[in-house]
Amino acid sequence: MSYLQLDAVAKHYGSRTVLRDVSIDLKAGEFVSLLGPSGCGKTTLLRIVAGFDQPDSGRVVLEGRDISGLAPAKRQMGMVFQAYSLFPNMTAQENVQFGLRVRRQDATTQQKRARELLELVGLGEHAQKYPHQLSGGQQQRVALARALAISPALLLLDEPLSALDAKVRVQLRDEIRRIQQETGVTTLFVTHDQEEALSISDRVVVMHDGVLAQVGEPAAIYGEPANIFVARFVGAVAELQGVVADGSAGMVTVLGRQVAANRARGMAAGTRVYFLLRPETVRLGPPDAAGMLHGTVIARTFYGALTSLKVEIVGGSDCVTAAMASGDAVNIAIGSTVSINWDPDSPRLLVA
Amino acid sequence: MSRRTHNLIPGLGLGVIGLYFVIPLVATGAFSLWEGGDKYGLAAYAALIHQPKLWQSLGLSVRLAIQTILVGLVVLVPAVFWLNLRVQRLRPLFDFLSVLPFVVPPIALVAGMTTLYTGPDWFVGTANYLVVPYVILALPYTYRALDVGMRALDLKTLTEASQSLGAGWMTLIFRVVVPNLTTALIGAALLTIAIVMGEFTFANILLFNTFAVYIDYVGQTSATQAAALTLLSFLITWLAMLGVLFTGRGGRGQVQIGGAR
Repeated sequence: MSYLQLDAVAKHYGSRTVLRDVSIDLKAGEFVSLLGPSGCGKTTLLRIVAGFDQPDSGRVVLEGRDISGLAPAKRQMGMVFQAYSLFPNMTAQENVQFGLRVRRQDATTQQKRARELLELVGLGEHAQKYPHQLSGGQQQRVALARALAISPALLLLDEPLSALDAKVRVQLRDEIRRIQQETGVTTLFVTHDQEEALSISDRVVVMHDGVLAQVGEPAAIYGEPANIFVARFVGAVAELQGVVADGSAGMVTVLGRQVAANRARGMAAGTRVYFLLRPETVRLGPPDAAGMLHGTVIARTFYGALTSLKVEIVGGSDCVTAAMASGDAVNIAIGSTVSINWDPDSPRLLVA
Repeated sequence: MSRRTHNLIPGLGLGVIGLYFVIPLVATGAFSLWEGGDKYGLAAYAALIHQPKLWQSLGLSVRLAIQTILVGLVVLVPAVFWLNLRVQRLRPLFDFLSVLPFVVPPIALVAGMTTLYTGPDWFVGTANYLVVPYVILALPYTYRALDVGMRALDLKTLTEASQSLGAGWMTLIFRVVVPNLTTALIGAALLTIAIVMGEFTFANILLFNTFAVYIDYVGQTSATQAAALTLLSFLITWLAMLGVLFTGRGGRGQVQIGGAR
């Protein structure tokens, strides 16, 4: 039985539909990310789980109990918000104790638990500081400790890293995952950052226009996108138009050339497809007749260890991007003609 | 024009304005000490101190100020909280209502109020009745002070954070909202004190002997004592204003919303 079940949840604001019959199951102890662009409904879904918004139809079921009509205060869910949400009049320790104080636990238990959690998030020495004396990253750690203090049935994270700078964001992201694994708390994490979602989740739910675009493990979401939206939204991809030339041989016609793509096997000849190439699967080489496609290098972007080269394909205005070791990329000049190759297992094909 | 002359002009301007305020006060102070001829002393103050009616009127005004603060805050804290949390679309209406006391003349207010507000003797037959117009008079200041204080907090997030931790509305208001509004609440209270201590029209028309009415009465019988009382009244108002200034400075309690530090 699933631990948390969202059953055909729908939500409208006036004439605008925000969620259309969304159903998701979470297993106990699972870390699931809701990933999608702004306005896709992910935050609304999280708020419905938290009880801050009510669904127009559908149910939220936690451990077999329908909690759709339950007030937020009665749901036993810890939440970390995008905005800094610590109570400014309380120290870090008092913030962490707040939920326990509301539950009338004795002072010694409150203090012991607060200290444990502040240690867990690495802020044991900052217990007596007020929020304005803490950095943004520290405030979010305290907020995480505060949410965990009540031993929540579910931990809800509403883009808690988005206000932080890049380095702190990565550190805190990894810590959230470590703490989640240590505590075993079932977690629902909302983000628009694909890297965040892919790096710390057991499963990722990609949302688009109020519906689930794909649900799966991070590797599957990246490697086997179920539709063109997921392919475009998760990771970089070169998107070419193709037509299956020979389903038995795994050949696809792209820009007038027949190229190899094993995923075309079994598809009917003449099927129009999106031919998708991830940058890391593209190999550039000297122009030769054996090249699957040819093109001209038109741009180079240096990322440190990797450099990405943008190549305009001969015979059209389409481009592919190749990510390669910076040491190798140095030898390929902008304006040079190159062959474009890939492993036949690499291209993803989606029926257009 | 030399640089020195250039710097002198603002200083001169400020000096003239300062004199405009200070000279009447010094003159009032000097007059309050005048005992006839070329004799100066504290006779007017001594005479005032021994008049029981002064203390009665002062006590009444202080009591009314406290009652006004309590009623005003009990009505306005939840109202402004709800305005900022849930019904922001009503802000223009609240803004309009809050400035009505500036637009409607006190004489019109008192006429309307005596028709509208009736009730038991302990209310309409005593000075308690003045709390009604005083709350209305203090409304613009109390509302503004609270609204500014609440806008500085991210009320929505704080509310949701406390609710997710299991807190009810009362816990939220008394443990989270009010403690973070200390500056705003003190500001509103001190402004109310300043208004109530100096209010004359309502008390005089409704025949209650408040501090301002007593100053007027003394002014008709003893000019020097009236000057002494006027200074005392100024002193109370200034102390209240100083309180507003000092409580408005520094202190924690401002929530930071977004942005890495």
